[in-house]
Amino acid sequence: MSTPVLQLRDLRVTYPGGMQAVKGVDLTLPPGQTLGLAGESGCGKSTLAMSVLRLLPKDAEVSGEILLDGEDTRTMSWGRLRAVRWAGASIVFQGAMHALNPVRRIGQQIAEPLRIHASVPPGRITARVAELLAAVELPIDKTEAYPHELSGGQKQRVMIAMALACEPRLVIADEPTTALDVIVQDQVLKLMSKLVTEQGIGLVMISHDLSVLGSVCERLAVMYQGEIVELGTADTVVGDPQHPHTQALAAAFPTIGDVASRYAPATTNPAGLPQKTVPELGEPVLRTEDLKVDFRRRGGGWTHAVKDVNLEVRQREIVALVGQSGSGKTTLARTILGLQASTSGRILFDSKPIPRSSKGLKDYRRQVQLVLQDPTSALNPRHSVYESVAEGLRIHRLPGDEREQVAAALEAAELRPVERYMPVLPHQLSGGQRQRVVIAGALALQPRLLVADEPVASLDASVRGEILALLLRLRAQLGLAALVITHDLGLAWNIADRVAVMYQGELVEVGEVEQVLLEPRHAYTKSLLAALPGLARLA
Amino acid sequence: MTSPVWARRRAAAGNVWREFRSNRGGLIGLAILLLFILGAVFAPLLVPEAALDVTKATGGRLQAPSGDFVLGTDESGRSLLALVLWGSRGSLVVGLSATLLSVVIGTTVGILAAHFGRWVSAVLMRLTDFFLILPSLVLAIALGVVLNGGLGTIVLAIGLVSWPTGARLVRAQTLSVEARPYIERSRALGGGHTHVIFKHVLPSVLPLVFVNMTLAVGTAIVAESTLTFLGLGNPNDVTWGTVLHAGQAAGAVTFGAWWYILPPGAAIALVVLSFTMVGRALETVLNPKLKERR
Repeated sequence: MSTPVLQLRDLRVTYPGGMQAVKGVDLTLPPGQTLGLAGESGCGKSTLAMSVLRLLPKDAEVSGEILLDGEDTRTMSWGRLRAVRWAGASIVFQGAMHALNPVRRIGQQIAEPLRIHASVPPGRITARVAELLAAVELPIDKTEAYPHELSGGQKQRVMIAMALACEPRLVIADEPTTALDVIVQDQVLKLMSKLVTEQGIGLVMISHDLSVLGSVCERLAVMYQGEIVELGTADTVVGDPQHPHTQALAAAFPTIGDVASRYAPATTNPAGLPQKTVPELGEPVLRTEDLKVDFRRRGGGWTHAVKDVNLEVRQREIVALVGQSGSGKTTLARTILGLQASTSGRILFDSKPIPRSSKGLKDYRRQVQLVLQDPTSALNPRHSVYESVAEGLRIHRLPGDEREQVAAALEAAELRPVERYMPVLPHQLSGGQRQRVVIAGALALQPRLLVADEPVASLDASVRGEILALLLRLRAQLGLAALVITHDLGLAWNIADRVAVMYQGELVEVGEVEQVLLEPRHAYTKSLLAALPGLARLA
Repeated sequence: MTSPVWARRRAAAGNVWREFRSNRGGLIGLAILLLFILGAVFAPLLVPEAALDVTKATGGRLQAPSGDFVLGTDESGRSLLALVLWGSRGSLVVGLSATLLSVVIGTTVGILAAHFGRWVSAVLMRLTDFFLILPSLVLAIALGVVLNGGLGTIVLAIGLVSWPTGARLVRAQTLSVEARPYIERSRALGGGHTHVIFKHVLPSVLPLVFVNMTLAVGTAIVAESTLTFLGLGNPNDVTWGTVLHAGQAAGAVTFGAWWYILPPGAAIALVVLSFTMVGRALETVLNPKLKERR
């Protein structure tokens, strides 16, 4: 058997302050194979990736063996380590938008490692860059482009091209598709697996999404609190998870078409889920009629962000608005809340057009509330949980005891015991708890409609199910209607009654979840579904 | 519910103090400042006001420092120690109130421009630019002459001239705060302009304003001395600047009366230096980014 590309023996990483990020990990990766590393944020998977090339901060203590092609990186001299970095093993960093230098052209950036390592003669660099761009299926004229001129998926391809530049034996991809749309994610994943088989490199792919890893990797390791809790072939780990944590991860991303996960996001909350019966729907709460929103483009011309949208949300109904980024979903949500002026068309709330005066809008916003994507930035870091939840009450000067109302809202958002959470500042809470605070702040005003913009996109897999279950329970208990904006079709399958698919500002398909997701009519909906990683849809 | 909020603020203030204490330059500056402030507050107890009266002066003309007059005397036989001590009251009051005026104008303009944007921002920022490019000393002199009067005029002149930099700074900070999603959440909750400005923007801008203010006091004191040295304002008001002006007029330089020029000059330098040291120390405490670089 050939030397493994990467071998970790009893790897331990301790950060100052005694935080053990990685606790004794053993892993082997033969050439030409893909190993998936799954886990939630904070489980130590990125630390593990960085430790391979000794990219951790100086004060991190690393022990054990990190064998790269049989050579221990821990004992390498500085010069040898520099030679090995990128030429022997390279990393596709998380978040391609931030890992590229915004003021240099793509071609120069890809050429940088080639120049430093002198792996090709200077005269051949341009040709090699062209080769690399072709390998990641980018047009050659992109060498002259700056990063901001590329889309997210194209930037990710550039990152991959850079990683491959010096023909490394090992590539570590840290969440390579997290910020990408399903369709682009599918393309990037296919590209990576193709390169692995063609060039015989070893690929370590890190992600929190088991379905992504399952579709690309041969073997899968699941990491939990710094340890590998499960290791096996991808099919067994995803299909028949043994460790409870793996089971939770696998359950978090539902299979579309699987009746068991319909109206049943993964939750371990003792409150359980409301009955699966479809609640009887009432009158329409919100309706948009031929709604249009245009933006003036820099340098002339108009961008039609929302084009003739007719959408209806009825009482006690959860509608999922699905689409790629840039499809106009968020603009539509902001317009519905009156945060963005419409160009033409009407928005009716309770069959009355929403007011335009500032006082009228204030009253309207008691009825309709917003839950934002990233709870970390949606809460003022200087305000305690109590203040954040009471903010709406104070703005509207609602009668009654403020403390009681805040307590009731926190109770409804299941932050118990409420007294413990009231004086706490946002940074002392976990992501899921913060999102509950945002929801509590919205609930305090007793709205009738909740507009949630990607409410779980920035949360960990296990928390995702809990928040979704909370939305379902709120609908059952308070009769709350919700418009949930998402790029995640699994979310729609989990909780929504109806789905509206948005593409380039237009609603291309609206209907019952089962009908749209299982028998899509529009070509775009079909391509969205086809791009889902294999394991996430029933064959 | 006010009590936990206040408890948290007290704790936060305690933290600031603990970190400030570890900055030696800041502590020294603070000590010198306290000394000057105590001197200014208790000046009437240390030296009776009568010592400033020319008719009751006991010393000779331009006497060198001696046992009777620790810092010598001026051309009318008044003790320079008394003049410098009483002068600190005028200088500090003018410096602080001019800064306060400038900070209030600057912060208001900055926040309003950033918050409302569009034409409000255009108008306010062009106004700021206008004041920014005017040679400030000339403008202050012109204002001082036109408005004519005592220390109040000087305060007004300095305040009106020095606010634009603060306004620019506050505008930038406000823009960055207003881009955060929690402002959007606050709007969606129904919050109006006043709510967003007073609950979210102002509290996060204030630390910056505070640091900027400490640094600006020094500049204001120097500006005050310059203006009064040039003979603006009422010569009967005693400030370090007027003492210097009187010394210049009495020919202290040609006479070689260093004790006339040095004490007020040194007092200005010391106070400005200590305000700067305190300001820099506060800046490192309140701005975590600067801390990392140290």
